[in-house]
Amino acid sequence: VSRFNSTTKFQRQKHLEVIKIKKNVITSLWMLLLILIAIYVFIPLYWLVIATTKNTNDLINTNPLLLSSHMNLISNFTALFTYQHGVFWRWFANSFIYASVTAVLVTLFSAMGGYALCKYNFGMSKYILAITVGAMMIPQAAMCLPIFMMEKSIGALNTYFSVILPQIASPFGIFFMNIYIKDAMPSEILDAGRVDGAGELKIFFRIVLSIIKPGIVTLFLIVFIGSWNNFFLPLVLLSKTTLYPVTVGLEIWVLNIMSPSGTGVPLYALITCGSLVCVLPMLILFPILRKYITAGISFGGVK
Amino acid sequence: MGRTNKRMPYIFLAPFLIFFLMFFIAPFLYALFLSFFRSMGAHRTFVGLQNYLMVFKDAGFWSGLFRVFCFGIIQVVIMLILALGISLILDSSFVKGKSVFRLIYFLPYAVPGVIAAIMWGFLYAPSLDPLLTVAGHTLNILTFSRILYGIINIATWEWTGYNMTIYYANLTSIPIELYDAAKIDGCNELQTAIYIKVPMIRTTIIFTTVLTIIFSLQLFNEPLVLNSLMTLSYSYTPNMEIFNMAFSFGNLSYAAALSVILTIVTFAACMLFMFVTSDKRENSKRSEAK
Repeated sequence: VSRFNSTTKFQRQKHLEVIKIKKNVITSLWMLLLILIAIYVFIPLYWLVIATTKNTNDLINTNPLLLSSHMNLISNFTALFTYQHGVFWRWFANSFIYASVTAVLVTLFSAMGGYALCKYNFGMSKYILAITVGAMMIPQAAMCLPIFMMEKSIGALNTYFSVILPQIASPFGIFFMNIYIKDAMPSEILDAGRVDGAGELKIFFRIVLSIIKPGIVTLFLIVFIGSWNNFFLPLVLLSKTTLYPVTVGLEIWVLNIMSPSGTGVPLYALITCGSLVCVLPMLILFPILRKYITAGISFGGVK
Repeated sequence: MGRTNKRMPYIFLAPFLIFFLMFFIAPFLYALFLSFFRSMGAHRTFVGLQNYLMVFKDAGFWSGLFRVFCFGIIQVVIMLILALGISLILDSSFVKGKSVFRLIYFLPYAVPGVIAAIMWGFLYAPSLDPLLTVAGHTLNILTFSRILYGIINIATWEWTGYNMTIYYANLTSIPIELYDAAKIDGCNELQTAIYIKVPMIRTTIIFTTVLTIIFSLQLFNEPLVLNSLMTLSYSYTPNMEIFNMAFSFGNLSYAAALSVILTIVTFAACMLFMFVTSDKRENSKRSEAK
C-alpha cells in the first residue's frame, strides 16, 4: 500500500488495470493449456466412437477423426453381438460377476479387518497393520504367476473362483477401512451398544456397517473398477474362452488380427465396438461416482 | 466378556488373514520351492540354485528390468511436471471451470489399461491412417526403437489424471490460513505454489513417486497388447519374460525363479521407500520436540 502513497489516483488506476490485464492474459494461457490437455484425454475415446461407425475398409482409408460416408454402426454392433453365438455377452457377464463378487467380499472383509485393527486393542494389531501396509505396495502382477502355479498344482484353474479368490485379500482395503473407521466411528457408540448388552458381531453388523456406509461405497467402487479392469490375473489363470472377462477376450481378438485365423472376421469392428461397450457404462456413471472414488484414492495421502 | 474381547479381533480379521496367507504368502513360497527344481513334464529334479545362476546370466531379463526402471523414472518426471503442474494450476485463482477439467482428466481411470493400449495402438498403426500422417510423412511408432515412447504416452494418458486427483485433494486440504499468511508476507501465486503448496504435500509426492516406480517394474498390459500389433522381444519387460517363459516356452521353474527375483526387487523398492519416508518423519518429530 505504501508504494502508492506518492502516486496520483490516475496512476494508481492505470496500475490496477495493468494488473488486471496481466491476470487475464495468464488466465487465458492456462485455460488454453487445460483445454489442450482435455482434448488429448478425449482423442482416443473420440476415435473409438468414430471407429465403431466404420467398416474395416473405411477405417483404413478414411480420416480417423471424421465420419465416413457409410454408416456401419448397426452392422458393426450386430457383428459384435452375434459373433460366435454372442460370446462377447458371455465375457461381459463374466467381467460383471468377477468384479461384483470380488468387490462385495473385499469390502466386507476389509471393513471387518479394519474395524478389528482400530477398535480393539490387541498385541498383534501393530504388526498386522505394518505387514498390510508393506504388502499394499506389492502389486498383484508380481504374484500372478506364483498364484497360477499354486492353483495349477491343486487343479483349481479355469473356474470362476480361480479368478475371484486371489483378489479377496486386499491390503489397500484393510488400510483404507482402518483409517476410515478410526475417523468416522465414535468409540462411545460401541460402548453404548455393549452396555445395552449387544454382542460384538451384532454391534458390527447392525451399528458399525450402517455408520461407515460412505466408506463402504468408496471401497466397493474402487475394488469394482480395479477388478473390472484387471487383465493379467485372468489372462494367466484362464484358458477356457467362455470364462474370459472382456479385457482378456478383446486382447485375444487383437491377437487374431495378425494371425491367419482372423481372416474374414470383421475384427476391427468387433474390437472397437466391444471396447466401447466395456467402457461406456463406467464413463456415463463417472460424474456421479467420481466423488466417492476421489475420497478413496486420496485418503492415504491426506491423513 | 474379557475373553471374547480377546478373541473377537481375530474373528473379524480371520477372512482377510486366511486369504492373505493363501494368495500372498503361499504362492510366493510355492514359487520359491519350484525355483529350485527343473521340471520335465511331471518329473521334477532338484537343481539347487541353477535357475538363479541362469537368471544372473540372462541379459534379456536385466535389460528388461533396466528398461522398466528407466520407464518408471521417466513416468515420475512426467507425473511431477504434468499431474502436479495441473493440480497446482487448478488450485490457483487463475482458471475457471475447475470441476469440469478435474472430471475430464480423471476419466481415463475408468478405462481398462488393455482398452487404452488397444485405442492408442490402433492410433499408432500406420495402416489405419493415423494422426501421425497429418504432418506429411508417416511416423511409425510401432517399431522396436520407438515403441517405448508409445508406451510412455499410454501410461501418461492413463495415470496423469489419477495422480492429479490425489495431489488436488491434498492441496485443498491445506489450511487456508497458511495462504493468508503467505499473502501478507508478499508471496505471489507462483511463490505460494513452490514454497508452501509443494512442501505441504511432500509425503504424497514421495508416495506417488514410489508407487509409480513399483508399478512400472510390473509393466505388462500395454506392451503385451502392442506386441500383437508389432513384434517385441519376448523379454521386453520382466513380467513379459515371466509370462512367455511359463506359457510360450513352458519353463515353469525358470519362470518361478524370475518371479521370485522380481518380487524381491519390488519388495526391496518398497522397503527402501518406507525407510526413507519413516526416517524423515522421525527427524521432523525430533525437530518439533526441540
